[in-house]
Amino acid sequence: MIEVSNLRKEYGGFVAVEDSTFSVARGEVFGVVGPNGAGKTTTLKTLAGLIEPTAGTATVAGLPAGDPETAAILGFLPEESPLYEEMTATAYLEFFADLYDVPRAVARERIAETLDRLDLEHRERRIGNMSKGMKRKVAIARALVNDPEVLIFDEPASGLDPLTTNYIVEFTRELSEAGKTVVFSAHNLFHVESICDRVIIMADGNIVARGSLEEIREAHGGTTYHVYATVETAVGVAVRENGHVRHTVSDMDAVDDVRRRVETEGGRVVDIQTHTPSLEEIFLDVARREEAR
Amino acid sequence: MRLRRIGRIARWEVTKGAGTLDRKTVFALVVLALLVGVVGVSAFDDGGGLEDGIYVVGVDAESAEGDPYRQVVAASPEFRLEETTITAFRLGESDADVFVGGPRLLESDGSTKGDAAYAAFRDAIERYNYESMLAEPDEAAAFPVTVSVQYQERAPASADGSGSGDASSGGFDGSGAEGGAGSGGAPDGASSGSGEGGGLGIPDVGGGLGERIEAGTPSALSPPFPFGPLILAFLFVVPMNFVIQAYGSTILDERIKRRGELLLVSPASRYEIVAGKTLPYLLGLVAIVVVLAVALEGGVLSVLGALPIALVFLAATFVGAMLARSFKELTFVTVAISVFMTTYTFVPAIFTEVTAIALISPLTIVVMDLQGESVTLGQYLFSTGPFYLVAAVLFLLGIGLYREEDMFAQKAIPAKVVDALVSRLHGYRSVPLLSILFVPFVFVGQLLAVALLFPAPEALALPLLLVFAAAIEELAKSIHVYAGIARSRFDASLRTALVLGVLSGGGFFVGEKLTHAVQFVGLPDLPAGQVVFGQALTSDPLLVLALFLVPLVVHATTATISAIGASYGRTQYAAAFVLATLLHAGYNLGVILLVV
Amino acid sequence: MLGSEATWSAKWAIARRELASLRTEKTIVLAIVIQVFIAAFSSFLVVGLVSLYDPTSVEGGELVVAVTGDDPEALLAAAAERDGIDARWASDRSSAYSAFEERRVAAVLDASRDADGRLAVRVTAPDEGIGTTLLIVELRGLLEDVERTERASSVDRLETVPLAVPADAGASPYFGFTYTVLLPLLLFLPVFISGSIVVDSLTEERQRGTLELLRVAPLSLADVVDAKLVSMAALAPVQAIAWLVLLVLNGTAVANVPALVILVAALALIVVGAGVAIALVAPDRRQAQLLFSGTVIGILVVASVLPEHPANTVAKLAVGSATSVTWLLFAGYCLLGAATFFGVRWGVARLEAESL
Repeated sequence: MIEVSNLRKEYGGFVAVEDSTFSVARGEVFGVVGPNGAGKTTTLKTLAGLIEPTAGTATVAGLPAGDPETAAILGFLPEESPLYEEMTATAYLEFFADLYDVPRAVARERIAETLDRLDLEHRERRIGNMSKGMKRKVAIARALVNDPEVLIFDEPASGLDPLTTNYIVEFTRELSEAGKTVVFSAHNLFHVESICDRVIIMADGNIVARGSLEEIREAHGGTTYHVYATVETAVGVAVRENGHVRHTVSDMDAVDDVRRRVETEGGRVVDIQTHTPSLEEIFLDVARREEAR
Repeated sequence: MRLRRIGRIARWEVTKGAGTLDRKTVFALVVLALLVGVVGVSAFDDGGGLEDGIYVVGVDAESAEGDPYRQVVAASPEFRLEETTITAFRLGESDADVFVGGPRLLESDGSTKGDAAYAAFRDAIERYNYESMLAEPDEAAAFPVTVSVQYQERAPASADGSGSGDASSGGFDGSGAEGGAGSGGAPDGASSGSGEGGGLGIPDVGGGLGERIEAGTPSALSPPFPFGPLILAFLFVVPMNFVIQAYGSTILDERIKRRGELLLVSPASRYEIVAGKTLPYLLGLVAIVVVLAVALEGGVLSVLGALPIALVFLAATFVGAMLARSFKELTFVTVAISVFMTTYTFVPAIFTEVTAIALISPLTIVVMDLQGESVTLGQYLFSTGPFYLVAAVLFLLGIGLYREEDMFAQKAIPAKVVDALVSRLHGYRSVPLLSILFVPFVFVGQLLAVALLFPAPEALALPLLLVFAAAIEELAKSIHVYAGIARSRFDASLRTALVLGVLSGGGFFVGEKLTHAVQFVGLPDLPAGQVVFGQALTSDPLLVLALFLVPLVVHATTATISAIGASYGRTQYAAAFVLATLLHAGYNLGVILLVV
Repeated sequence: MLGSEATWSAKWAIARRELASLRTEKTIVLAIVIQVFIAAFSSFLVVGLVSLYDPTSVEGGELVVAVTGDDPEALLAAAAERDGIDARWASDRSSAYSAFEERRVAAVLDASRDADGRLAVRVTAPDEGIGTTLLIVELRGLLEDVERTERASSVDRLETVPLAVPADAGASPYFGFTYTVLLPLLLFLPVFISGSIVVDSLTEERQRGTLELLRVAPLSLADVVDAKLVSMAALAPVQAIAWLVLLVLNGTAVANVPALVILVAALALIVVGAGVAIALVAPDRRQAQLLFSGTVIGILVVASVLPEHPANTVAKLAVGSATSVTWLLFAGYCLLGAATFFGVRWGVARLEAESL
């Protein structure tokens, strides 16, 4: 559904996205993860056709991003949802439905249905007088007004309370079950883990990890062993923790190695644990490594 | 471009605008208007009182209360009475600026203010005399002279087609006595132009020439106000100044808090968005202009003359709103546009009857239409063509900025300008095209420079003008080339720079010649050879051709210098630009010396 | 009322930011250019119009007019006394009119006596724009001379004898304009511009939501608004000083310069204060600017119910004809300025932050 190849975007001398290639299949929920300034928003805006790439291509459903036909099948939710505050929610949504050439009757029905699902009341209230959560719902409804094939959500849950956030995550899941392709960015990894089929992790304009969650775990850490000892050895990564030294190693041979060395130095092993890292830890780890580079 | 979508955006723009004007604002404005209306009418009945009491008139403290000169002072609000003595006045011991002590004694204290007070008091005496004569029972003795004036059209000093050359000077200095040479056409008798001229009817300014036989006294004789149509034409420009405020606001509103981002992701193209947002304001202006034209008994031509002005107002505001970083900046940009555009259209129109050059302002077309004069198609094109072109170029450049990267970022203005130019560069062919499109801007810029440097001493003004004229041409030839290289639309090689320079210089040359051709069509009074080939120095056709082509070589050379500089970077571009400008100015100087 | 030292430095920081933004945005340059432009434009128009109505200020040879009719002597005699008009006697009417038609004369004056013994002059003038205006102005002068002589000959029939008109002394025709229009314009424009800037600055901060951010700093809303008000109001007298210096350098004597500067400062406080109030109440920038412009025009018009219009006060101060009323009003403006400042402070303190 979405093909991005060798995408590069520079602003003046600053490189926002260096060289990124990925694809998203139809019906997939695809996460773009990374710290602030990693190039997530630039990537998503390129897909939405807002930004022209400096080099490389981005296509949506076989057409270049930014093409009016692409725009027609796309729903974009920006990170901040800037709305026309002087309009009522209904008037606002109908205006956009018009721009997408949605017939009036269909639009009315669709808007009512979406707002019902989003549980938005006070639809005739001016947007300027709405709470942040309500505004976000209007923004989401706007992204759905053309019944898009592809949804691009930039930090859909940013700045919202946990309840609304959960709500939006659930809603995204429903959309994906209805066959929509969803691409979204987040730094709140908890939700990415719960709904994404595949993710890419970005740092400093580069994709530093990609694949399904299992694949990423495998490639960036997999299962590790924590060997707690009374003395420090040169094997693995040693960190002081609760009065002991924690050695993090990747296989059983290394665990044996640590044990031998600890004993030769006159210490003793206190505990051995297996550890499966969360996406959050991988993300932090990758980001840290990227920074160190 | 989808008309339906444009219409939808336009409708939204209107309802959004109407929706935001809330009741409190409307109420406050209505109250203000009422207040201004009520107080204003009563206050300005007596002239606004701006000059009240600015002069102090000394009278002899001994003089009687009924002294006529005291009454003159009392009758004119611009004076304040001070009782003093002539000795005190002469010693400077009183505040009075002027002292009046009787029929033969009116004395200024010698200061500029005193002299002005003297002149004002003299006028006041005349007014007082007039008033007291009005009260006389014997009217024939009070006003022993009656005057009636009949205005009558004469055959033009030199007929339109004759092209004898002194058309612009003849007939203006008002004497007409020396202008006997061009008697030309048969006198059309006493038939006067009452029909067209009289219709304008500006109250009390003596407009409405044509036959008017009116008995009165010499003092009541009011000279016809020559600027009647001009002031009326000014009315066409006034509403534009207000409309652009709202228009600039709505454009900048889209850029605040990224509000316009969502329109950009919709299938509506940026052309449609801008067209839709502009349409209501343009239609509004057209509606105002049409209403004004009907009210002032102007014709279609008035509307057609005002339209390009409205377009440039909107286009300049659009670009201003795309570049402005804040409302504050926008306010100044719009005010600057107002002031500049009003001056640029208004001042030349003052000279409608004096010189054909007045046609550089489309307002002249409106003035001519209001005066009942006819306008040829050539004149219309000459007058409005550059305005249409400028509006189109400005809109195109502004739309180039109507995208995510430039709208919402706090980019530096030069960077945005470069972006705007780059958005119009599609390969080599765009380079000469942009050079041509910049010619009207060069024209306007040079004209403005002439106007600004006009009062400066010639020794300073002439070299400055020479350098400025060259600089603005060089800028027009090189800025887009620099933009293209800086944003990697063209590679920074010497070969490319050569090609770009020649293309740009050539394009500019063509544009210049096109303008001359338009001038030739629009202003046939000016001798053709002089306009197209410069001064005719020789009749040898080869030499004429050579002279024709020399400017091409100059333009291409200087443009290439700048282009090569641009291919090395910004500083080098600046240096090359200076060099090109100096070279160009030197060439201009050479031509002037050769001709003069 | 006075804040602690911390708020003073914070206020100063806001004022500095406000002024710095004017500098970085080059708006102040634009503002000055605009003022120069407006002043130049209005001067240009006035000089043009004055010179039109004052033929002595226009170069141009003598106007040749034909005098015809039964009783031309009075006209011919008066014309002989005047520069600028060359009246020629045409014995028959038709030759006079054909000379007019052939542009050998600028106008035909046909003089005859009516039944009351008045001199009736029938002027035939061309319909030729500016030239006609000049011609009529010149002819009016001539006819007024004739009127004066004629009147003098029948003075015994009048109840009041007209006052003698003193000789023309040739004063600058622009003197009145300089003090009553140009100077008030130059002093009021900066005031208006400062007010306009404050409206923009406040509405923009409200619309962008940065006003809330400022208020997170240890400052009250009143402090923020205060800083803006004072920094913008201070800008107007500075510009006023610049204009006054320029005028003085140009040879225009200006009296009471300190009073004028203080007056501008007081007016700036009033107008900028009004701008602040409007910006905080109006729903968006367009309406705020609309209301602000409307209010300023309203103030200017309504001020004419005062014994002196503010422009007249400025003119009187500058030309050195100030009266006690002028000084009373001056004091009144200063008081009102201070009252506005504290009034805005008081009002803002009461304004609920959420209502913004």
